[in-house]
Amino acid sequence: MSSTICRRQGVRRNEFEWGDTDHSHGHNPGKVRLDRMLEIKNLMVFFENALALNDLNIEVHRGEIVSALGSNSAGKTTLMNTISGLIIDMKVKEDRRGGERITLMGEVRFEGEDILLTKPSLRIRKGIALSRERHPIFPESDIEENLRISTYLRRDPGIHKTFDFVYSIFPPLIKLKKRKAGFCSGGEQQMLSIGMALMTKPKLLLLDEPLLGLSPAMQNSLIQAVKQIRQEGITVLVAEQFARPLLPIVDRGYVIENGMLTLEGSGQELRENPEIRSTFMGV
Amino acid sequence: MEILIYGITNSVTLALMAIGFSLTFGISGVANFAHGAFYLLGGILTWIFINHLGIPYFLSALLSILLVGLLGFLLYWGLMLRLRGLAINEVIATLAAAIVIIEVLRWLGFSGFTYVLPEFIKGSVNIGRVWLDYQRIFLVAIGVALILLFYLFTHHTKTGLSFRAIAQNERTAISLGIDSDWTAALSLAFGSALAVIAGLAILPLGSIDTELGYDILIYALAVGIVGGLESIPGIVVASFILGFSQIAVATFFKAQWQTVVTLGAIVVILAVKPSGLFGKYKELEERV
Repeated sequence: MSSTICRRQGVRRNEFEWGDTDHSHGHNPGKVRLDRMLEIKNLMVFFENALALNDLNIEVHRGEIVSALGSNSAGKTTLMNTISGLIIDMKVKEDRRGGERITLMGEVRFEGEDILLTKPSLRIRKGIALSRERHPIFPESDIEENLRISTYLRRDPGIHKTFDFVYSIFPPLIKLKKRKAGFCSGGEQQMLSIGMALMTKPKLLLLDEPLLGLSPAMQNSLIQAVKQIRQEGITVLVAEQFARPLLPIVDRGYVIENGMLTLEGSGQELRENPEIRSTFMGV
Repeated sequence: MEILIYGITNSVTLALMAIGFSLTFGISGVANFAHGAFYLLGGILTWIFINHLGIPYFLSALLSILLVGLLGFLLYWGLMLRLRGLAINEVIATLAAAIVIIEVLRWLGFSGFTYVLPEFIKGSVNIGRVWLDYQRIFLVAIGVALILLFYLFTHHTKTGLSFRAIAQNERTAISLGIDSDWTAALSLAFGSALAVIAGLAILPLGSIDTELGYDILIYALAVGIVGGLESIPGIVVASFILGFSQIAVATFFKAQWQTVVTLGAIVVILAVKPSGLFGKYKELEERV
C-alpha cells in the first residue's frame, strides 16, 4: 500500500470509495472489525446561500482520538455544532421566526442511528457531549456549580463518581471549586469547559478548539488530559488548528479547507505530510 | 419613625411587585408587560373563587396562583415562542396581552369597593406611636420569605440551576441538554405566579381597581430599571431606595408626588447608568 493519504478534489467523491469499507489506516493492526461510532456521510450545511460544509465524509471509531484540522472559517465549528445538534436548535428557532436560513443535507449516524435532525438534549442522552469553542462557561457561577449544572439530564446515582473523575483529570480545578468561573484564567476555563462536557457522561466527546489562546505549557497539559480521557474509554473528536501539539496523540485525522475534506490519514501520516507541516506547523 | 416603618413596608411591597417581572426577564429575556395584568387577574380570580364559588380562602389563593401560572406558560408557548429574540415584538405582544386582560376585566366591571380581598389576620399593632396593621407585617414576612426561597430555589434545585444557566449563557446551556423553550416558558409561569402571590399579599390593603394592572407594571419596571433587571440584590436595593423616597416625599410634600419620584428615578438611572445599579450589559446576540 503506497500512501493511504488520499488527496480529495472536486465536490463529489467516487461512490466506490465508500463501498470499500476496509479503510486500512495502518494503525490498530490487531483489530479485526472497526466499531464505527460516528459516521458522517455526504454532509452539506448551508447558511443561506453560503456552503459551510461541502460533502463531508468523516468517521470516528470507538476508542479513537480523531482530529479535524482546519484554519479559521474552514467549517470546524459548524461540523462540531452539527454533530452536537446545536445547529438543529439554531435552525428550529430560525424557522420559527420565518428565517429558514440553515439547510442540512446528508447523514450523521451515531451508533448506527441517523441523528441529523435530533435535538441536542436527546443527543446528550445518547452520549454525545460538546465543549464549545472559546470555552463559554457560566461566569457568575462557581466551578462546582458549573459542573453541577452540567448534570442536568442525569438521574443516575453515579454523579459524585463523575465529579471525582473530572477532578482527577483536571487537578487544578479542585482548589478553585468555590471560585466564580468568570474570574478563572483561560486555561482553567478551558479545563472547566471540558469537565462540564464530561459531567454529562459522554461516550463521544467533541472538543472545539480546546488549545485556542492557551500557553504551550497549558496546551501540553490539556493534551495529556485528553489522553487520559481516552484511557477511560471515551472517544474523542477534536477540531483544532494547532496541529503540532495535537497530532502526536491522534489516531487519525482529517483536514478541512473551505468546508471540504482535503486530506485524511493516520496521525503519523499527517505528521509527516509536507503540506500539513507547512500549513499547520510552520515548518 | 413613621417614615421608617412605612418605608420598610412600602419597599417590600415594591420588591414583591418587581420580583416576578425581574425573574422572567433575567432568565428568558422576555420583558413581560402583562405582569401587572396577571397581578390584577390573580386578585380578581381569588375574589371570584371566594365570593361566587364559595371556595375557602387558601384553596382559592392556590388555585388562582396555579391558573395564572398556567396562563403565563401558555402565553409563552402560544405567542412568545415565535417572537423570541425580537425584543420589540416581545414587548408589543405582552403589552397587547396585558391590555386585553385588563380591559376585559374593566368591561366586566371588576372595580371598586365591593372587590376587596380578605386580610390574613385582621387587626393592627402599635409600634412606637405608629399603628401598623397585621397585613403589612405579613407582607414584609412574605417578601423576605419569597426572596430567601427564591435564592434557595435558584441555587439548589435542578430547575433553578437550569434557569440560571440559561440566563448566563443560553447556547452553552443548550449544549448541556437544557431545553431553552421549556425553561423560558417555565420562567414566565413562575413570574406570573409570583405576580399573583404579590397581589394576594398587597391587594387586601385596598380595593381592587383595574387601573392597578397598569400601575403595578410601572412600579415593577421602575424597580427593575433602577436596580438592574435580573439582579436580586438590585431588586432589594432599588425597592428600598424607591420605597423610602416615595414615603419621604408623601410625608413632606404631597402624596401625588410619589409617581413623579418613581418615574423620575427611571429617567435619572437611564441617563446615568442605563444597565441599572446592579445590572450588567448583555448583548442581544447572546440570546438564542
